[in-house]
Amino acid sequence: MNLRKIAGAAVVSLGLLGALAGSAFAQDAAPESVLVTADWVEENLENPNVRLIEVSVVPGVFERGHIPGAVNFVWHTDFVDPVQRDIVSQERLQELAQAAGINDDTTIVLYGDNNNWFAAWGAWIFNLYGVEDVRLLDGGRVKWEADGRPLATTPAVYEVGSVTIGEANDDLRALRDEVLAVVNAEAPGALIDIRSAAEYNGEIFAPEGVQELAVRAGHIPGALNVPWGQNVNADGTFKSLDELRALYGGLGVDGSQPVITYCRIGERAALTWFVLNQLLGYDVALYDGSWTEWGNTVGVPVVNPAGTVWGGQ
Amino acid sequence: MAVSQQAGGSLQQGAAPVSVLISRDELIRLVVGVLVVGGVIAGAYALNGTPGYGAPASFSLLTGLTLGILFERGRFCFFCILRDFIEHRGTSGIFAILAALTVGMIGYAIVFGAFLPNTTTGRLPPGAHIGPVSWILVAAGLAFGVGMALSGACISGHLYRLGEGYTRAPLALFGALVGFGLGFYTWQSAYLGTIRTAPVAWLPGTLGYGGALAVSLAVIAIIAIYLLRFSPQSPAREAVRITPAYVFDKVFRQRWNPLVTGGLIGIVGTLAYFRVEPLGVTSQLGSISRTILDNNGLLAERLNGLDTFAGCATQVVQTITENGWLIGGLVIGSFAVSLVARKISFSRVTVRGGATALLGGVAMGWGSMLALGCTVGTLLSGISAFAISGWVFAAAMFAGVWLGIRFKMHTWN
Repeated sequence: MNLRKIAGAAVVSLGLLGALAGSAFAQDAAPESVLVTADWVEENLENPNVRLIEVSVVPGVFERGHIPGAVNFVWHTDFVDPVQRDIVSQERLQELAQAAGINDDTTIVLYGDNNNWFAAWGAWIFNLYGVEDVRLLDGGRVKWEADGRPLATTPAVYEVGSVTIGEANDDLRALRDEVLAVVNAEAPGALIDIRSAAEYNGEIFAPEGVQELAVRAGHIPGALNVPWGQNVNADGTFKSLDELRALYGGLGVDGSQPVITYCRIGERAALTWFVLNQLLGYDVALYDGSWTEWGNTVGVPVVNPAGTVWGGQ
Repeated sequence: MAVSQQAGGSLQQGAAPVSVLISRDELIRLVVGVLVVGGVIAGAYALNGTPGYGAPASFSLLTGLTLGILFERGRFCFFCILRDFIEHRGTSGIFAILAALTVGMIGYAIVFGAFLPNTTTGRLPPGAHIGPVSWILVAAGLAFGVGMALSGACISGHLYRLGEGYTRAPLALFGALVGFGLGFYTWQSAYLGTIRTAPVAWLPGTLGYGGALAVSLAVIAIIAIYLLRFSPQSPAREAVRITPAYVFDKVFRQRWNPLVTGGLIGIVGTLAYFRVEPLGVTSQLGSISRTILDNNGLLAERLNGLDTFAGCATQVVQTITENGWLIGGLVIGSFAVSLVARKISFSRVTVRGGATALLGGVAMGWGSMLALGCTVGTLLSGISAFAISGWVFAAAMFAGVWLGIRFKMHTWN
């Protein structure tokens, strides 16, 4: 090896080191956890590598005031394909994400009303499609408002981003037959029903004020009932990792076997998916068909302690 | 405080003495009125901190208070305004409506620009009162107009006149509750037969905000120019010196300038949409009807497609909605200023007057259920939002009022 080659190698190595250091520095901007605090978000409002996405349930909430710079994703059109009753397609998500100015190295921070229900659904979708850096704002919109932090109504416009959305990773998603396999003990796994106890027990078909969309009430055989609210504190932030580990560990869910979460139409269960998969690191899939599919499916069993199996009379 | 008139100093040579004094009675009324308004403001402050209500309820109460004052002081009563025109070719009230629409449209265009920057996505701005256009809307507008003539006011008119002690108002509003109930029964077949496929036409969807605003303002201008031909000779204005007594006279005794009233209503409408929801006065009333029917098992649990339309939406509710606070504020605001203005008067309701108020109320309730709003929700908030439904309702309602007056229905009391 002559001197020139050595010098060349040294220059290349130094360059690589520099690049590594640079990227390490860039990543300093974002904390390690998939949860970010409102303080961190407020400090990073001007950070071009951070993109805030609001996913709220109530229409008009985003428009009347959102975290400055945030873009709006509508849960029932932007994250789903309502005609197919499926998750949003790869192409459509890429189109939306690029329009929001998201690049491959952008830190995506989602937040929304109702305790981040549908923001967590958005986080699930982005994770499912292999987007690298996806986080939730701890406490969501409610806490941001309660803290008295600023809101803006001006629409943020970004240059089209360059993010490429990959193939969907089916490991994060459970389809009906995979759930049936767990019910029939053909596959290992625990099922978690995040709906209210009254829905779980079959006393009611849907929460108050919501249309009944299944002909049967009750739950999937073997499912544990952990209503979503048990994941969070009174101020809307997530409970500590120890508390969450203890909550689920006490029910036998400790990460030793795969978990499937479900709810009524599939969105709220994303919050528990987020807790178990993103915060605790367990192997968790979301059954987005949820009760509106299972409760209506021919030939699958349900458990209904309340005895009101059929919706008809 | 007895403010004596000033005959004027040297600058007011020749100015007529302003023959106003605030009497002791008026002063007492003023103090009571201020206390009432202060009470509502205190209520809004308390609501803001009440869990489950918060800023939207508080803001709505204050919006209602402001509207009550504006409606009462500007005599912003759609029926009176149209009757003035139909019977006497009086146009000042219509100019108030046109001013409200002009300011409202400009305001909405500004807010829409932030809420929905891109008009070509097929989405509509959240919550704006853009309704389906069909012959049902025409029928609803006609019924509403006839109901106005029969009962002596539209729904917002009855609400503010309730504050003035108008004794037919409670009957008309009760009739509206009944009419809403009838509307719910008609809705199912109206929806499946017609409304489901009716176009929800929104001008900016094709013209953009600039184009929609230009076209709508041109229509307003054409109407305004046409109306100028009926403008009477104004009496010469006397030079005046502005004193507290003069201001009191202008604010509490005289009817407010129609353009000022209309412009302020346009601003209030824009701010209400920006902060909470478009102005409307029937959603709480309709919700009361729906809740009563629902609680008694008299109504289909699901009203086909109703919840997919924006407008004065009704729902089965257990609480006071934002719209309820607005209505409450409106009645009290009107009461407070009519107290000071000595506008409160009670007259005995005759059997005929009561019956026509009730019947007119039923027609208005039915009409505003199927039109998804009334003169405020569908007409003012709709036209401000560039909805074709607002214009169609306005035309049909005008025809209904014209028919009602033609057949002298407004004198059946």
